[in-house]
Amino acid sequence: MLMDAATLLDYLPVLLAGAVITLELTLFTLIGGLIIALPIAFARNAERPGPRWFAQSFVFFFRGAPLLVVLYLVYYGLPQIPGIKESPVWFLIARPMPIAILALSLNSAGFLTEIIAGALRNVPAGEIEAARAFGLSRLQTFARIIAPNATRLALRAYGNEAVFVLKGTAVVNFITITDLVGAANQVYFNTFDPFTPLFAAGAFYLVIVFAMLQLVRWAERRLNPWAFAAPSRERHR
Amino acid sequence: MDLALFSFGPTGWGDELLAGLDLTLRLAVTSILTGTALGLVSALGEVALVPLLGRLLETVNMVLRSVPELLVIFLIYYGAAIALAALLAPFGIAGLFEINRFWSGVLALALIHAAYASEVFRGAFLAVPVGEIDAARAFGMSPLLVFSRIRLPLAFRLAMPGLTNLVMTTLKSTPLVSAIGLQDLIRVAGDAGQNTKEYFQFYMATLVIYLGIAAVVLLLQSRSEHRLYRHLRTR
Repeated sequence: MLMDAATLLDYLPVLLAGAVITLELTLFTLIGGLIIALPIAFARNAERPGPRWFAQSFVFFFRGAPLLVVLYLVYYGLPQIPGIKESPVWFLIARPMPIAILALSLNSAGFLTEIIAGALRNVPAGEIEAARAFGLSRLQTFARIIAPNATRLALRAYGNEAVFVLKGTAVVNFITITDLVGAANQVYFNTFDPFTPLFAAGAFYLVIVFAMLQLVRWAERRLNPWAFAAPSRERHR
Repeated sequence: MDLALFSFGPTGWGDELLAGLDLTLRLAVTSILTGTALGLVSALGEVALVPLLGRLLETVNMVLRSVPELLVIFLIYYGAAIALAALLAPFGIAGLFEINRFWSGVLALALIHAAYASEVFRGAFLAVPVGEIDAARAFGMSPLLVFSRIRLPLAFRLAMPGLTNLVMTTLKSTPLVSAIGLQDLIRVAGDAGQNTKEYFQFYMATLVIYLGIAAVVLLLQSRSEHRLYRHLRTR
């Protein structure tokens, strides 16, 4: 009763098309979120109060605002900016997909900023001092000591955030994009069987989440080989 | 900004927005309380010595944490009516059932809240120092007494920061219920925007309201942590 194989087979292409949209949104949002969050994370750790204050407001704003409200604000608010319809940017943002990616990226950046800033703060000061003592320049210290260390520290939290980004992409249904949830909804309206498409869509999401977590685990192993190679650690698992 | 838009009465949207806010808050509070209680029960099931039940709960919670909230909302709203009809059919009761939108929304959000809360509670129960439990046993407390006087209060204190974070998460999921036609705050703001063509102002007002609630929750969080961890402070 819960899963109907014939329905599933008939509508698999619809669901797959939705899954492609969901994956596209997730991928571009992960990239966009990182691009926005990186400079703000540096501002968050800055000595000067101005940038720090800006970064803290940014984080409070996007962590406190529901994703759907941010999406609606961007979707309905951007066209109201005077002169934007004559500018070349309009060509890019007059479609729902870029708007959705922008809103999702801003929202994700609010969370990413805290993750990245926290990881940068927690790089052991001794390692940075040692690098400076060896005569490494500021840039070299960052590239060889701070960045790899911070990546290691941030990786697990980043993986969780990536799962939240994937789940968050479902809001695009409110601005007429048909993603995986939307596709399942369409199948329901055609067949009046809610269980088959929604369970199938759920299974798709599970597969994507598993793949993401596997990827993070792989990256963790690559970046912390010593933590995984020691046989004494393996025995405790 | 045009304040007349937000006035009360037939020309302004103030009263409609207030009704939407009322629905959103009722939905959020009901979901959070139900979800926290369910999460506690589920965590107890997971740490209890019934391996099969624990595994099952763990799997259900893992699935609920991996799929989008919107999917769960749709599944419950569409599915509950059909499941109810199928359950009642053997008893000769046939017909179409209209499932209450509000309670569908509450059930969906509460189940998701419970899936996360269960994880928080489970961690908290496992973090209760064994020495305190041993000491309580040595004093001759029964397992029930150990649970109600030692394990539960200590676990609750440890779970508090995680639980307040979840309050924020569920609060921010509430606008999604507008997808099943509930007249919540964001839906009313959308209607107002459509009527007046002032989408930006109304969504901005919605945003300010949500940020205001978030600020209150954060304030309560820091206050409660201040009180709960008084004994851990160094100064």
